Amino acid sequence: MEKVNPMTVDLTPVARPKNAEPWKQVSLSGVATIVLASTVPIAIGLFAMLLGLKFEMALLLVFLPTQLILGVVAGRKFSGSRGQADAILQVFVVFFGMTVVVLLISVVWSVIERGSAAISWQFITQNNVYISGSTSLEYGGLGHAIIGTLMIVALSTIVTVPLGIATAIYLTETRGRTRSTIRTLIQALSGLPSVVAGLFIYAMFIASGLTQYVGWAGSLALIPLMLPTVTRVAEESLLLVPQELRNGALALGSSAWRAFYLVTMPAAKSGLITAILLGIARIIGETAPLLITTFAANNTNYNPFNGSISTLPTYLYTFIASNFDTAVQRAWGAALVILILVAILFIAARLLTRQKTAKKAGK
Amino acid sequence: MPENSAPSVVRRSLRAKPFSKADRRFYKTATVAANSSIVLVSLIFIFLMFRSWPAFESQGIAYIFGSTWDNSPDNFVLQIGPMLWGSVLVSAVGVVLAVPMAISIAYFIVFMANKRFGKIATVMIDLLAALPSVVLGLWGLLVFSPVAAGWAEMLNQYLGFIPIFQNSSGNFLRSPFIASWVVAVMIVPIIASVTREIFSQLDRELINASLALGAGRWSTFRRVIMPTSSGGVVGGILLGLGRALGETVAIFFVLNLVFDINWFSVLEDKGGSVASMILAKFGEAGQEEVAGLMAAGVVLFVVTLFVNMVASYIVSKAQPWRK
Repeated sequence: MEKVNPMTVDLTPVARPKNAEPWKQVSLSGVATIVLASTVPIAIGLFAMLLGLKFEMALLLVFLPTQLILGVVAGRKFSGSRGQADAILQVFVVFFGMTVVVLLISVVWSVIERGSAAISWQFITQNNVYISGSTSLEYGGLGHAIIGTLMIVALSTIVTVPLGIATAIYLTETRGRTRSTIRTLIQALSGLPSVVAGLFIYAMFIASGLTQYVGWAGSLALIPLMLPTVTRVAEESLLLVPQELRNGALALGSSAWRAFYLVTMPAAKSGLITAILLGIARIIGETAPLLITTFAANNTNYNPFNGSISTLPTYLYTFIASNFDTAVQRAWGAALVILILVAILFIAARLLTRQKTAKKAGK
Repeated sequence: MPENSAPSVVRRSLRAKPFSKADRRFYKTATVAANSSIVLVSLIFIFLMFRSWPAFESQGIAYIFGSTWDNSPDNFVLQIGPMLWGSVLVSAVGVVLAVPMAISIAYFIVFMANKRFGKIATVMIDLLAALPSVVLGLWGLLVFSPVAAGWAEMLNQYLGFIPIFQNSSGNFLRSPFIASWVVAVMIVPIIASVTREIFSQLDRELINASLALGAGRWSTFRRVIMPTSSGGVVGGILLGLGRALGETVAIFFVLNLVFDINWFSVLEDKGGSVASMILAKFGEAGQEEVAGLMAAGVVLFVVTLFVNMVASYIVSKAQPWRK
C-alpha cells in the first residue's frame, strides 16, 4: 500500500466549459447576435409586406419562421444545442402572449374610440322614449339604463353579499362536514351559463304567473352568477388571516363570534370589500338573464318592484343588431359606459389589495 | 377489583361545541347560508325540469339527437341536435385556440418576466376576465368578424383541400371559426389564471435543481413543469370549456344558428349553440316552445355543471395546499 501524499494530489478543478460563465460580459459579437436576431425578422416581415404580401401571411409565413431560425442560431451561439429548444420555446411564448395582448388592446381601444363619439351629457342623462334606431344622436340616451343597472345590481348585491360572505365563513371558520362539497359546488356554479340563471327565474316566477317582467326578477337571476365570485374571493381573503390571530383572540377568552367580528373580519376587511367589488363587476355586464327576466323599457323606471326596466346591457343589445349607424353608435356608447363602470370597480379593487400588501411589506 | 369493574373512561369527543348563544347563532347562520347553495342548485334543476317536462315527454330521446325545430302547430317538433353539437364544436375549437395563448401567458408571468412585467401581464389577464360578454360580442361582430373572415378566406384558399377548411357558400362571416375565436378570447383569462396559480405554487427547488443540472428552459418545461402541474392545467382547461359551453350573448352575435348539423366544417357560415339558441328563440316563443327552450336549459345546465364539477375536483386535487 502506498500512501498518497495530499500535497501531490492535483486539486485544481476540471476546466470549466466555456459556455458556463454567465457572469462574463457578453462580447460584441454576442450583442450583435441578439440585436440581429430580434430586429432582422421584423425587417424581413415588413419587407415582405412591402412586396404585397398580406399582413397575416407576412406574420405567419415570413416573420415567424425567420424569427425561429434566427432564434435557434442565436441560442446555439450562446448555449449550444440546448439553446435551440429554449429559443423555440421563448419565441412561441412571446408570440402567443403578444396575440393575447393585441386582442385585449383591440377590444379596449375599439370600445373607447367608437364609444367616446357617442358620449355626451344628454346621452348619459336622457332616456329612450320616442327614440328609434335612426334617431339622431342629439336626442335620447341611456340615463334610464344606468339607473336600471344600478338598482338591479344594488338589489342583487344586498342579497348576495351576506350570503356569499357567510358561505365563506362556513368554509374557513367552521369544521362543517359539507365543506368540500360546497367548495366544489360553488366553483362549479361559477361556470353556470347566465342564460340558465335567467331561465330558472323565469320558470320559477314568470311562467308561474306570479309576476310579469320586473326588475327584482332580474336581481334574483343575477344572484347565482354573483355568489361564486363573492364567496371565492372572500374565502381567499379569510384564509390569508393568520391562524395565530384567531387563536390569540380565543385564548383571551372571546367567543368564536366575537373573535371573528373583532379580529378576523377587520383583518380581512379589504379582501372582503374586494370580493364585493369583483362580484359587482362580474354581473354588471350580464345580458341574457336580464333579457329573459326584466326585458327592456324605454322610459325611466325608478321602481324595481313594478314594470320592466332597461339596463345597460339590454340597451346595448337592443341597438346592436340595427343597421343604422346611429344605433350602432349608441351601442358603442353603452359599451363604453359599461367598460368605465367595470374599470372603476376593478381599479378600486386593485387599490384595496395593493394597500394591504404594502402594509404587510412595511411590517 | 375496582380497576377492572369500572368501565374505562368514555372517550370524550374532541369537537368543541359553541357554548354561547351568539356563537351558536353565528355558526348556524354560516351553515345555513353555505348549504343554501345546495338548495339553489337543486331548485334550479327542479324548476327547469318541471317546466320542461312537456318537451321531454313529447320528444323523447330524439330531443337531444334529432335536428328539426318546427314550431308550427300541425307539425310540432323540437330537437336540438345541431345546436348541441355546435356548442361542442365551437367550444372545442375555442379551447384549442385558447390553450397555447393561456399557457404562454402563464409561463411568461411566472418564469420569464421580471416582477414588473409579470404584474402588468397579470393585470391585463384580470382585465380581460372582467370584460362583459356583451361588449366582447359587440367587438366580435363589428371589429373582429371582418378581420377573421379574411383569415378564414385565406385558410380556405390555401388549405381548402383539407375537409375542415372547406366552404361551399363563399360567405365567411358568422362561422363557427369566428365564434371560436371570440370564445377563445373569453376563456384565455380563465385558463391562464388557473395555470398561473399552479405554476407559481410549484416547488422552486425542483426548478432550480433542474436548471442546476444543466437543463435549459425547454427541458425544464417539458420534464419538470409539465409533469408536476399537468393535472391542474387540465382542470383549468376544463373550467374554460365549461364557460365556453355556456357562452350566450357573444356567440349569438357572431354565429349563424342553423338547424342543420355541421359536423366539422368550421369555415361554413352555419353552426349552433344551445345557449344562443335559447336567447334567439325566447322572444317570440309560445308556451310549448318555451318548454322546449327550458329543456335546452336543462341540458345545458347538466352538461356545464358536470364539466365544472369534474374541473374543480381536478383543480382542487392539484392544489393540496388549499386544504
